[in-house]
Amino acid sequence: MDPQLTEVSQQFERFKAAFVRKDYSTCSDLLSRLKVLLTKFTSLPPLFENTPNAAHELTLARDIYEHAVVLSVKTEDQDAFERDFFQLKPYYVDARNRLPPSPQENLILGLNLLRLLVQNRIAEFHTELELLSSATLDNPCIKHAVELEQSFMEGAYNRVLSARQTAPDATYVYFMDLLAKTIRDEIAGCSEKAYDYVSISDARQMLLFSSDQELLAYVNEEHREWEVKEGFVVFQKAKETAPCKEIPSLQLINQTLSYARELERIV
Amino acid sequence: MAAVMVSSAGGLLAMLNEPQASLKHHALSHLNNLVDRFWPEISTSVPIIESLYEDEEFDLHQRQLAALLVSKVFYYLGELNDSLSYALGAGPSFDVSEDTDYVHTLLAKAIDEYASLRSKALESNDMVDIDPRLEAIVERMLEKCITDGKYQQAMGIAIECRRLDKLEEAITKSDNVQGTLSYCINVSHSFVNRREYRHEVLTLLVKVYQKLPSPDYLSICQCLMFLDEPQGVATILEKLLRSESKDDALLALQIAFDLVENEHQAFLLSVRDRLPAPKTRSVEVVQAVETTTAPTENPSGDVQMTDETPAPTVVLETDPVDAIYAERLKKIKGILSGETSIQLTLQFLYSHNKSDLLILKTIKQSVEMRNSVCHSATIYANAIMHAGTTVDTFLRENLDWLSRATNWAKFSATAGLGVIHRGHLQQGRSLMAPYLPQGGAGGGGSPYSEGGALYALGLIHANHGEGIKQFLRDSLRSTNVEVIQHGACLGLGLSAIGTADEEIYDDIKSVLYTDSAVAGEAAGISMGLLLVGTATEKASEMLAYAHETQHEKIIRGLALGIALTVYGREEGADTLIEQMTRDQDPIIRYGGMYALALAYSGTANNKAIRQLLHFAVSDVSDDVRRTAVLALGFVLYSDPEQTPRIVSLLSESYNPHVRYGAALAVGISCAGTGLSEAISLLEPLTSDVVDFVRQGALIAMAMVMVQISEASDSRVGAFRRQLEKIILDKHEDTMSKMGAILASGILDAGGRNVTIRLLSKTKHDKVTAVIGLAVFSQFWYWYPLIYFISLAFSPTAFIGLNYDLKVPKFEFMSHAKPSLFEYPKPTTVATANTAAKLPTAVLSTSVKAKARAKKEAEQKANAEKTSGAEKSVSESASEKGKGSTEKEGDAMQVDGTSTVEKKAAEPEAAFEILVNPARVVPAQEKYIKLLEDSRYVPVKLAPSGFVLLKDLREHEPEVLSLTDAPTSTTSPAAGAAAATQGTTASAMAVDDEPQPPQAFEYAS
Repeated sequence: MDPQLTEVSQQFERFKAAFVRKDYSTCSDLLSRLKVLLTKFTSLPPLFENTPNAAHELTLARDIYEHAVVLSVKTEDQDAFERDFFQLKPYYVDARNRLPPSPQENLILGLNLLRLLVQNRIAEFHTELELLSSATLDNPCIKHAVELEQSFMEGAYNRVLSARQTAPDATYVYFMDLLAKTIRDEIAGCSEKAYDYVSISDARQMLLFSSDQELLAYVNEEHREWEVKEGFVVFQKAKETAPCKEIPSLQLINQTLSYARELERIV
Repeated sequence: MAAVMVSSAGGLLAMLNEPQASLKHHALSHLNNLVDRFWPEISTSVPIIESLYEDEEFDLHQRQLAALLVSKVFYYLGELNDSLSYALGAGPSFDVSEDTDYVHTLLAKAIDEYASLRSKALESNDMVDIDPRLEAIVERMLEKCITDGKYQQAMGIAIECRRLDKLEEAITKSDNVQGTLSYCINVSHSFVNRREYRHEVLTLLVKVYQKLPSPDYLSICQCLMFLDEPQGVATILEKLLRSESKDDALLALQIAFDLVENEHQAFLLSVRDRLPAPKTRSVEVVQAVETTTAPTENPSGDVQMTDETPAPTVVLETDPVDAIYAERLKKIKGILSGETSIQLTLQFLYSHNKSDLLILKTIKQSVEMRNSVCHSATIYANAIMHAGTTVDTFLRENLDWLSRATNWAKFSATAGLGVIHRGHLQQGRSLMAPYLPQGGAGGGGSPYSEGGALYALGLIHANHGEGIKQFLRDSLRSTNVEVIQHGACLGLGLSAIGTADEEIYDDIKSVLYTDSAVAGEAAGISMGLLLVGTATEKASEMLAYAHETQHEKIIRGLALGIALTVYGREEGADTLIEQMTRDQDPIIRYGGMYALALAYSGTANNKAIRQLLHFAVSDVSDDVRRTAVLALGFVLYSDPEQTPRIVSLLSESYNPHVRYGAALAVGISCAGTGLSEAISLLEPLTSDVVDFVRQGALIAMAMVMVQISEASDSRVGAFRRQLEKIILDKHEDTMSKMGAILASGILDAGGRNVTIRLLSKTKHDKVTAVIGLAVFSQFWYWYPLIYFISLAFSPTAFIGLNYDLKVPKFEFMSHAKPSLFEYPKPTTVATANTAAKLPTAVLSTSVKAKARAKKEAEQKANAEKTSGAEKSVSESASEKGKGSTEKEGDAMQVDGTSTVEKKAAEPEAAFEILVNPARVVPAQEKYIKLLEDSRYVPVKLAPSGFVLLKDLREHEPEVLSLTDAPTSTTSPAAGAAAATQGTTASAMAVDDEPQPPQAFEYAS
């Protein structure tokens, strides 16, 4: 076996061990070393050269990146997630007919969809969705994300929140929490527009908080412009009435008339 | 590369955000390969890559890689400027030798940028910062071109970027230095717009040339002439003349002829004067030659051409090497003074004269006696038709008719003699003697004919006026009649073109300051002629006077004169042009148009064209607009195909003046080319609704069609018939009738042996020809200026000369059907007279019999002459047949069948043997081939003009042709001259000059 490949495999074993130990900082170190090592393999994207160990190398690399994605979820690092996912993607898309499909594939795709949903990047979400085959769509991981999106769009926020319990994998929980926050932001945005003020209890109910303290903390953190007084949350302050611009109609009429008069004079 | 490709660059782009540098590098290098496919994806990440490039911590190679990647993305986005600046940042990563669109485009962009920066830096003389990286790229490119053997590319870039050092390197390293050099000369003439820079290039070329082991002296001398360095030419000529080898001497003579062709009188004279005289006693001979330069008139012109006896006698006393040099020197001086070529041309035109007196006769008969415009137009037409042939039969046969010319018509009739005898240097004075002012006191002659005679002398001696200048000056000073002054001024200007002679200038100036309209106009033009191309301070003096005077004629003359002084100066004339074109006075603006035309003549300079087009549509004065359009013709004559396209819209202008200008512009720039587009453009204009547009179109058409045979373009025949119709039409306007008469003159100019040529064979402009046409176009205001067109005529001849500058018998082949280039058939009298029918029938049968007999004994050598002659006869017969068929139905069958039979009997030869000296029309030049076993070999391969022949069999006696000098034969009917030609082999007898024609007096 190729010494490089052996090295990578060994490192990866250590990574997995650390991963199981939940020693995430060791994991990150190992991972970045692994990534550098992977660049030496010409069989990997974007070159896809047909080296003797191609299949093995590809599988290994895919495995590493899959772990990297999961790791990024564990470390709650969305940027790293995005980076790693994009690097992983060619293994799913372009190497589809050289490798047996990965068992993790749907899980990771579902995670990505969820991430897009959380980041409220709906357009990209649908782009990704279009690229999936109908068979994949039936996969519970994917289906979960799709259903979430539907509920989210319909405004059935309670359904979204209850979906947390039905998450197909433990990794999903992180995003589900984030999603709850996204939803809260949505609701807050709507109520701001819809009401001048609401009572604190209503607000708490609407924003799905269990206690008033939570609500007040949220208001303090996210919406400094809201005012809490006399048992009401007043949104009024946020609503700045943009002064509507007046059309200088008289002036315009005068101008137009004078043009007309002068035109007549020329002719 | 495997079959599988990535479907997105997303993975790699994501990698750019990785913290490790090695991953970024990995991503960058892969993206660089994928950018051609994934640039849309990458373009969104350009800011990231840019920041990588700007990251100081990043390793240099990676930064360059990033820059290259950004550059490529910008290239695909069409942002070439950004792309270039990043490519420069990429340094060595940007590989000039890569064969991709990206690299090609960016290189082109880089070179453009560099070239524009360089020229800006050099033109404004202040230091413009040129990015050293840009310079490095261009240099890398140049080196690559040179090492790859693409020398032409390298030269092109070097010239464009003004890198003369690189140009020199490219030339010296090329494998075919001679070829590269001549290519370079071509390029520098056609693409280098700035005059000073062109000078630099040419200086460099001369330097390179001189380093070569076997320099191409012909080309060097052409360059030196352009650079105006007579000393250089003189040195080369002297070296060649002093050489042992006869070949070198032949080469020197050839160089001299080539220089003469460019008609740069002042330059030729200074070359001649710089040729050192041989030592010892042979000096006498040379001095005798040099006396020709002296202002006093002397007869040594004859001696030097013909008389060989004194030379040997002197030679005996001197050392032989010097003697040979002296003898050669004598020849070359003769050539440089222009006399040899003028003499030979004269002989050629005389002996080959094929002008058709019948055409003139028809014109004369159809023109109403009282219509003086048409009457003098006929005289002009006659003069042009016989320009340089010395045949004045028509005038002498019609003395009565001629005597109707009065006043200015008489002036031009007399001046016409000058055109007819153009180049008859030896006898010019005696020819004109009867009309010249007598003894200063103004004898009994009319001032008009006296003025005309002085003008005629100028035309005879145009551009070679050494012998006549003094006489003209004396005549000018001794008269105060403005008509005589007018003639004398024009004559002086013509004879001293471009010499910038101070004394003459002062004489003319004093005439100008008399403020007489008629004399002043001529003085203005004359000053311009005198100062052609000198761009002197005097121009502002002239301009000041033009503002001062009240006479429009004088202003116009001066305006044209000022324009002439800036001839060929290009940018050097810009201030003056600016000054003139912004003037209040339309006449000065009009002069400004001419200044633009002449300063940029033949350069096809875009700036000049733009300016002219602007004036053509925006000036308020019709005169200025007309001239602006006309001036386009001058700017574009080096590229005649362009002109019809550029003026085509103007030719449809609502303004007749603009249409007129468009017609003449095409006429001037396409003169003698027979260009199909030009003819198509002019055709509708010849039937314009406005009479003067028709006039201009007819004249322009004639200029375009001169020397084009009907066989090569059928429209020539149609045009000839159209002219005849217009002339015969009683109800035609005088203006267009005059145009038609002049057009028939120009069409058959110079006995059908000359064409209008503004470029010499070496692609230099012919000064005299260009200014000749410029002044000619003034005939709009002043008819006598029509004669200036004769300056633009150059003989369509191949004249081979041996070492003794004689014309030996030498045959060569024109590999084309003879009919393609033959002379137009002589016209015949279309008469209803039955008596004419009888000789017709006899003639055609006899010719047929003769043809059959000839065919059996046909020999290659004389095929040309006999078939040519008999064909013209037979075809005239057939013409006659046709003519009579139209008139009389009953004669049709007999004649018709006989002609058909005749034509079938004689299939046309595919080639033709021409005998030196031969008529070779421009279109024919590409068919000229040499016979293999010929005794003579030309020094330079040229299909026409003067060519020196190397004699391979020196010891055999030479057979000379062209021995008959013009004599005053009573009637040189077509073919008569040809028959006598080439038979006798006696030495050239120049003493047999034609007698001066008998004086004919006008009945005043």
